[in-house]
Amino acid sequence: MNLEVDLGIKISNPFILASGILDENGYTIKKILESGAGAAVTKSIGMEERRGYEPPVVYENDPVFINAIGLSNPGIDNFGEEIKIALAAKKPVIGSVFGKTVEEFSLIARKMEQYGASAVELNLSCPHVNGYGMEIGSDPDLVNEIVSEVKSKINIPVYSKLSPNTSDIVEEAKAAEKSDALVLINTVKAMAIDIKAKKPVLSNIYGGMSGKAIKPVGIRYVYEIKRELNKKIIGVGGIENINDAVEYMMAGASAVQIGTVVYKYGKNIFNKMNNDLVNYMIDNNIDNIDELTGVALK
Amino acid sequence: MKTSIIYENIKLNDNTNIIKFPCNEKIEPGQFIMAWVPGINEIPLSFSGLNDLKEITIKIYGKASEHIAHLKKGDTVFFRGPYGKPFENTAGKKLLIGAGTGIASLVPLIDKNAYGVLSGKTGNDIVFQDRFEKKSIVTDDGSYGKKGYAVDALKDMDISEFDMIYACGPEIMLKSVMDYMVNINDRAQFSLERPMKCGIGICDSCSINGYQVCTDGPVFSLKQLMGMSEFGSTRLNYSGKRIKI
Repeated sequence: MNLEVDLGIKISNPFILASGILDENGYTIKKILESGAGAAVTKSIGMEERRGYEPPVVYENDPVFINAIGLSNPGIDNFGEEIKIALAAKKPVIGSVFGKTVEEFSLIARKMEQYGASAVELNLSCPHVNGYGMEIGSDPDLVNEIVSEVKSKINIPVYSKLSPNTSDIVEEAKAAEKSDALVLINTVKAMAIDIKAKKPVLSNIYGGMSGKAIKPVGIRYVYEIKRELNKKIIGVGGIENINDAVEYMMAGASAVQIGTVVYKYGKNIFNKMNNDLVNYMIDNNIDNIDELTGVALK
Repeated sequence: MKTSIIYENIKLNDNTNIIKFPCNEKIEPGQFIMAWVPGINEIPLSFSGLNDLKEITIKIYGKASEHIAHLKKGDTVFFRGPYGKPFENTAGKKLLIGAGTGIASLVPLIDKNAYGVLSGKTGNDIVFQDRFEKKSIVTDDGSYGKKGYAVDALKDMDISEFDMIYACGPEIMLKSVMDYMVNINDRAQFSLERPMKCGIGICDSCSINGYQVCTDGPVFSLKQLMGMSEFGSTRLNYSGKRIKI
């Protein structure tokens, strides 16, 4: 039985830690990798140290989860040590990158490669910080330019994480076509008001929604993009169990990212997903995990 | 968010208050809530009393703590939780070591077999000393009790006679206490404090060697801490930058 996935780098199983969850401190990333994740994406890292928003930064109301951390990060110059600590797990660490300009994306991606990152994920889609992420993701020419520039400057795979908060995700995906894989989807822009306090809960007011409730949105985008473009896709959004992961794969994903659910089941969710996948493959006579990718499109 | 109505507010000293409010949640010593001041901030707070009325002791250090410390009878307190792994309350002789208001989260553990070590920068930082029958008090400047640190008070006693040792305070103090503990085996529990944002184990702000203080802690056993190279050494700041402690 083969659980290995090829995303330009070989990943021992299709379950990857999603960016933004338990991936700021190198020791935590290492622990997640030791808990069964095939690879881990780091927190999005920018040029400068950035504080992010004051709490509340999360709103939890299962199956809905909304966050607005605000791209808090230590700045790329301070992140090398964390990657080094994480790499002791001897599994791929994927550096998530955000920037304001083509040059910033390029410079940070090059540093990620120098630090030993196995691949980079371009955050073209953070929904809660002005001037970053989603605004860039909504400009196809800029996306194309960023992806082309980063691809030309580094020798490790480049993944592009795209936003569902756009009028035409196919256009966005085409603009990022030079990427080695597309990561679908980032969080859905959302907010919550506490009716007793009569105020928005998140200090930033708006945040990005994740959790089980967004899974159908993610499935739709993975399916639609896989049908339109024959690109490798990493599915993400609301995955809580093996059936959710299989659904994403059937929609066209080669691998999946898991994030929010960690607050419900802890880091051991990765070991559980691996065990459940093996059982699923035995029960369904599947030898190779690749066989699942895109079966719903056939 | 959950809510409760403040029943009483007691001023403990210039910058510390106790708020009391009814709450039906099952809360154990060492656990905490994330208390929300709408439009201002959200902060973790632990309990100094867990009877029919729950008590929180708040030292004012910022806008949110100031707001909560000044809530009056009838005001609403907003919170989520309780969260975190509690102290394991064991029978036998207990040693409770607290720095400043750190002693507050140990107050629910006080019984007739408890001995308290209360430390502070100055005498103003010493609170709840009247709750202990047997105690040692130390201050950095010697303005109250003996001059010295918490660990100095331990040097004057035989800590091996205690069945369980509990400690809460700044990490640097906890580290010095841990380093002093020989032949204690695993008979000690420490409550840690690191910058916290989500409170539910996903943002990685409060992590220490892969453990999340908010969900795997805040209470860790001596044995757990012995294996943590970050303990008393480095942590991430609010941005996520590694800094020395």
